[in-house]
Parts: sequence; structure tokens; C-alpha cells
Amino acid sequence: MKRGHQDTLHGGGGWYAVEPEMERGKRKTTMRAAEEGGEVDELLAALGYKVRSSDMADVAHKLEQLEMAMVSSAATNDDALLSHLASDTVHYNPSDLSTWVDNILSELNAPPPPLPTPPPLTSADAYDLKPLPALPAPADSLVLGSDLQSEVTPSPRDRKRMKVCSSPPSSSTTTDAATSAAAALPVVVVDSQEAGIRLVHALLACAEAVQQDNLKAADALVKQISVLATSQGGAMRKVAGYFAEALARRIYRPQPRGGVGCCSFDSVAFDDMLHMHFYESCPFLKFAHFTANQAILEAFAGCRRVHVVDFGMRQGMQWPALLQALALRPGGPPSFRLTGIGPPQPDNSDALQEVGWKLAQLAESIRVDFRYRGFVAASLADLEPYMLLDQDADGGGGGKDEEPEVVAVNSVFELHRLLARPGALDKVLGTVRAVRPRIVTVVEQEANHNGGTFQERFTEALHYYSTMFDSLEGGAAAAGADDGGPDQALSEVYLGRQICNVVACEGAERTERHETLAQWRGRMDRAGFEPVPIGSNAFKQASMLLALFAGGDGYRVEEKDGCLTLGWHTRPLIATSAWRVAAPAEDPLSASAAR
Amino acid sequence: MLTREEEEEEQEEEEEEEAKGRRRAFSVNDNVDLLAEILGRLDGRSLAVAGCVCRLWNAVGRRDSVWEAVCHRHVAGGGSSAAGGGCSTRSVVAALGGYRRLYRLCIGPALDRLAGSAGGRGSTTTTAEAAAAHHLSLSLSLSLFSIDCYERLGGRQQRPASLLFLCKPVDVS
Repeated sequence: MKRGHQDTLHGGGGWYAVEPEMERGKRKTTMRAAEEGGEVDELLAALGYKVRSSDMADVAHKLEQLEMAMVSSAATNDDALLSHLASDTVHYNPSDLSTWVDNILSELNAPPPPLPTPPPLTSADAYDLKPLPALPAPADSLVLGSDLQSEVTPSPRDRKRMKVCSSPPSSSTTTDAATSAAAALPVVVVDSQEAGIRLVHALLACAEAVQQDNLKAADALVKQISVLATSQGGAMRKVAGYFAEALARRIYRPQPRGGVGCCSFDSVAFDDMLHMHFYESCPFLKFAHFTANQAILEAFAGCRRVHVVDFGMRQGMQWPALLQALALRPGGPPSFRLTGIGPPQPDNSDALQEVGWKLAQLAESIRVDFRYRGFVAASLADLEPYMLLDQDADGGGGGKDEEPEVVAVNSVFELHRLLARPGALDKVLGTVRAVRPRIVTVVEQEANHNGGTFQERFTEALHYYSTMFDSLEGGAAAAGADDGGPDQALSEVYLGRQICNVVACEGAERTERHETLAQWRGRMDRAGFEPVPIGSNAFKQASMLLALFAGGDGYRVEEKDGCLTLGWHTRPLIATSAWRVAAPAEDPLSASAAR
Repeated sequence: MLTREEEEEEQEEEEEEEAKGRRRAFSVNDNVDLLAEILGRLDGRSLAVAGCVCRLWNAVGRRDSVWEAVCHRHVAGGGSSAAGGGCSTRSVVAALGGYRRLYRLCIGPALDRLAGSAGGRGSTTTTAEAAAAHHLSLSLSLSLFSIDCYERLGGRQQRPASLLFLCKPVDVS
């Protein structure tokens, strides 16, 4: 039977016959096979699919397009199309993958008009009319199916016909095996930009569905998001992936069981490690450290005894630079005391102490008188003023021969966590005020992830983290692909955890409660602090630092009312501000005491 | 066509001149401090190349004082601190690893980066480097240097990476 087909298909469908030839191995006709130029990929042939090796990339590409087309048709609720495909009115044997995909694509693209004339070949009668139905027409007479024809090739005839109809020029191509018929077929244009817009819409729609508690719709949308995300590249795909995962967590686990619901790795060491990679891969943390250090340095001018309280000690990367700057300042280094605050370590290792040792080593080598104290606190609200105040053995409580120490409090990305529990921030700011610091440096994310409804928060977060991921991509791209290796990937994980927390957690668990600079300004004002403008030195240093970064072109340092912000292109991402205790205006007694 | 006498005279004159020349000839290799002074006026790359000439030049080229001059010449704010803060700067930098290391890890790559971005706009390398040096401050370089030094401290043998953003991935220490 195959034989028969072959013979009749002689001219046009010649190359279809190639495949059975190949299967049967050496024949005389293998010569013809060689002529036609079709070497079937052996691996796929073993599975029953016949794809020419030269066509492989093409077929793969078209399969992707087909998937996109089917998904997007699902998205547009094109039931007619789907049911048409589903009811399988035209059974194409998929073993010839290339043409199978072509046909389906062409069907989706341009439903071919009915054949004007039936094909001249007699065996074609069996396949009369059907293959070219109008889209909605189911036509069960379109049997086709396996009964009528033998294995390989109903199809050659139909395909041939399909080709003829869907794109006139292709009629000539069927005789030419070399030109893949696909070239003449109209292709589903997967406009990745359009897919990107759809992706964003899907994300926002899903957030809305979650907000309205419409979990079924949300679930469907999450799946759609995952598919759409694959059509994107780079930053958008990763952001969409993280947001989709966070949404899924929110949908399927509305009551997270205790602990930090979002993270599978709760260990502080893991978090620190991610933090280090984030430090190295992009300039945000460096910017934060340098600008805060500059403000502290200026505030410490002329003081002989200084004390810095760091609310988030971690690996202490901020302090070597300050130590060096103090060592080299005109007048020589002061006597420097550092209090580092960190979370409890589950494995009883004393990371805080280790960091202290390293800093002490560095300080000793550059001859700065250095003292260190580490405090373990699950939350900053557990701190009391007496813990932070000077507790020198010789100083005792009251009289000191030396001048009193000048205190600076430094908080990098720590204050926003306190907003998760009511009253915690006020307590901490009260503690800070009680220590009477010369300067308080605060670095926070410049975004509002704490106000309004879930949907608003989601939208804000989507924009913010898209920009963050873009900046990571930009930095990695400019630095060369190698550099983007582990640092970039782990930084993305670091940001992904934040995303998860912002989207999926609620209540006391949601610790990533970012607020904008304006909001923090309000809070600090209400707590009795007044702003200290950050000088131009910090601005210059920050600008220079960014100029050194390979991907530094996209970053922007801006000054806003005495505070510095670092952003990517037009969007500010983090903000550094400095504060001091406001002299109370009303009470003259306390005002003079404060001085 | 010279007579024999005249030839002899000429020979003597030549010999005398050679002797005089030898007395007058000056080899910089004999005067190491001068050599150091000269090498200190080079830019980093040229100095490194000069260190490949011979062992003497290599030894002189490794002196931290030479690299100190190079560093100060190539960053803004270096000269101004020479007066009072010179000594303390020197001791701090020595403690952190020395000027040669400072140049290699921080200043050199930074200048390259800045010159590269400026050079992309069509200026020649020398002017670009000069422009870059004008902006790069010693204090920033020292800050980065101190962070790198800090990362190399400590028991764990982690590869310090905070300066990788300046350098190519392959770090030949």
C-alpha cells in the first residue's frame, strides 16, 4: 500500500515518500531519498516521528509558535477554534512532525478556503472535500482517521492540498523538497511584546482575582502566567516567575503555618549569604554604605570618642571603609566603639562575635582604637537604651574624665520590618532618641509596599521589582556574561524572597513593609527627629562609585531635599537620609539640657 | 688620504674623546634613587612594563614609594594630603597592603573603567586617563581597598569579591 501511495504521489509528494524509504533502509530508492535531501533524525525516528534533520530547528520553532497560538487562543476564549482542534476534524498523522505542525499552524492562521477542484488523483476521492472545512464546521464526515488510510500518508494528499490552498505559491513548493513548505506558510507571529503585555495583564488580573477572593479564576490565571512567562526573556521572565510563585503560595496556602511562611530556607546564614551576593552584584548596598558613612564621618568631625550602633550587623561590610576614613581624617582617628545588633542564630554559632573579631583586626592594623559589642535580638524592639549606652568599667555611671562619646545610629533596610507589629517602630525610635545620637542614618527602599489594598501593593511591587531586576540584568550584561554567574542568580533569589513576602504573607509575617521616603520623613518627624542634609561630598562619592560600576550607565544618583536616592533610569529604588534629634522648641529647659 | 702621522694623531684624539666620554657617560642604573624618581612618573601600566626590563628595574619598580608617587599622581586629592596626612596615609595604606596593591586592585581598574567609558566618546587615551584621574578620589579608592582587605581577613577562605565589579573575572593574585 505504501508502494501504491508512493507511485501515485510520484511527482509532487515525492519527498513524503522519502520517510518510509528511510525506514526500510537500503533500497534503490534511497538514491532518490538522497536526492530529495531528507535525512530523518534518527532519534526521533526511533520514537516514530519523522523529522528531517535540516528541519529540526524550524520544527522546534514552529512547535513553540503552535503552543503560543493555542494558549493565546485559549486566552482569548476562542472556543470555536479550540473545539475545532479538539474534535480533531482533520487527523493529521503527526509522525511527520514538520508538516503536521505546519498544517495546524496554517489552520490556525488562515483557515483555508474549500478546494475549488478535487485533486485529479483517484485515491483522493476518499479524502474529498473534508480537509478544508471552515473553522467552526466540525463535519464528522471528516473521518479521515486511521481507518481510511494507511499509516503514513493520508496526509500527503491533504497536506498537499492544504498547502495549495493556504498559500498559493506553495503549490510550486510541494514539488521542491528542498524548500521547506513551511517557508511559504503563513506563520503564527509570536509577538513577544504582545505576549509581554498579556503577561502583565494576567499578573494584574490575578492580583485582582485574589483580592476578590475568586480563587478559581486566580488559579487559572496563575497557570496562564507561567506559560506566558516562558515567551519572555531576561528580567521580565524572572520577575513574572517570582510573582507567579508568590501568587500561587498565596492562593494555596492562605494560612501559613507559623514561622516565616515564605521561605524554605529560614536559616540566617543562608540569608546572610544571599545578602553578600546582593552586595557584590549591584551597587545598592555599596551606595547605602558609602553615603551613610559619609554622613556619619561628617557628624563625627572633631569628636574624640565615637560610638556607632548598627541595627543590622550581618557581615559588617559597611565599617572597614568608615574605619579607614576615620584613621585618615585630619586630626587623627578617634576612639571608636561599635555595637552590632543581629538576629539569633539557630546553630549557636556566634557570627556577630566573628565579625567583631575581623573588624578589630582591621582596626588594629590601621591603628584605630576599637571596641566592639554584639547584641543578639530577635527584633529591634527588644532593645533598651541602657544596652546601648556606654558601660565602661572605669567610667562607671556618672563622672567621666574624657568627653562623652558621640553616638551615631545606622539602619540599612531594617526599620521597615518593625512596621509589621504595631508600636514596635515607636518603641525603637524612642530608644534611639534616648541614646541621644548625633546622627541617625536611615536607608530604605523607595517604594510603597505597605499601604492600600493587596492589589495596589501588588502593582507597586511589580513595578519596583521589575526595575530592580532590570538593573541587575543591565549590570550583568555590561560586565560581561561571566560576572553575572552566581552573584546575579543569588541576588535574584534574594529579591525573590522579598517578593514572596510582599505578595504572599500577611500580618506579622509580612516584614517587607517598604515605605517611601516621604512616608519615612513623616514618621521621623512625628517621632521627634529633624532631617540633616547629606552633603555634596556624599553625592560626589556616590556618583564616582557608580561610574566605576560596569553596568553603571543606567543608575542615577539624585538628591531630594537633602536625601540621596539611587535609582535605575528614572525610577528611584533606594533612599538614604540622615536625622538628628529635634531640639524641642517649646521647653527652654530641656533645650538647654540637650545642648 | 692621511699620512701616518695624521692617522696616529686622529687615533689619539679619538681615544681621548672616548675616555672623556666614558667619564662623562651616565648610566641611570648606577643611580637607583634617580631611577626610582623617574619610574615614579610613569603611569601604572608603563611602570609594570618597566619592571620587566631587568632585575634592577624590577626591584626598583616594586618599591612602594614608587607606586605611592604613581597613585598620588593619578588620583585627585592625593597631592593635597601629602603635607600633613602623608605619613598617616602611608602607614594606613601599608597596613592595608601597600600602594602597589592599591593601584593594582583599585586605582588601576578604576582608571581603566573610567577611561574606557570616556574613551568611548572618542578622546585619546591619555586625555581620557587624565580626565578620569581628575575625578577619581583617593578616599574612594582607599575605602574600596579597605573593604577588600577586610574581606581577605578572617578565617574562612572565601574569595574576596567586593572588588570584582572593577576587574575582569580572572584575578591573578
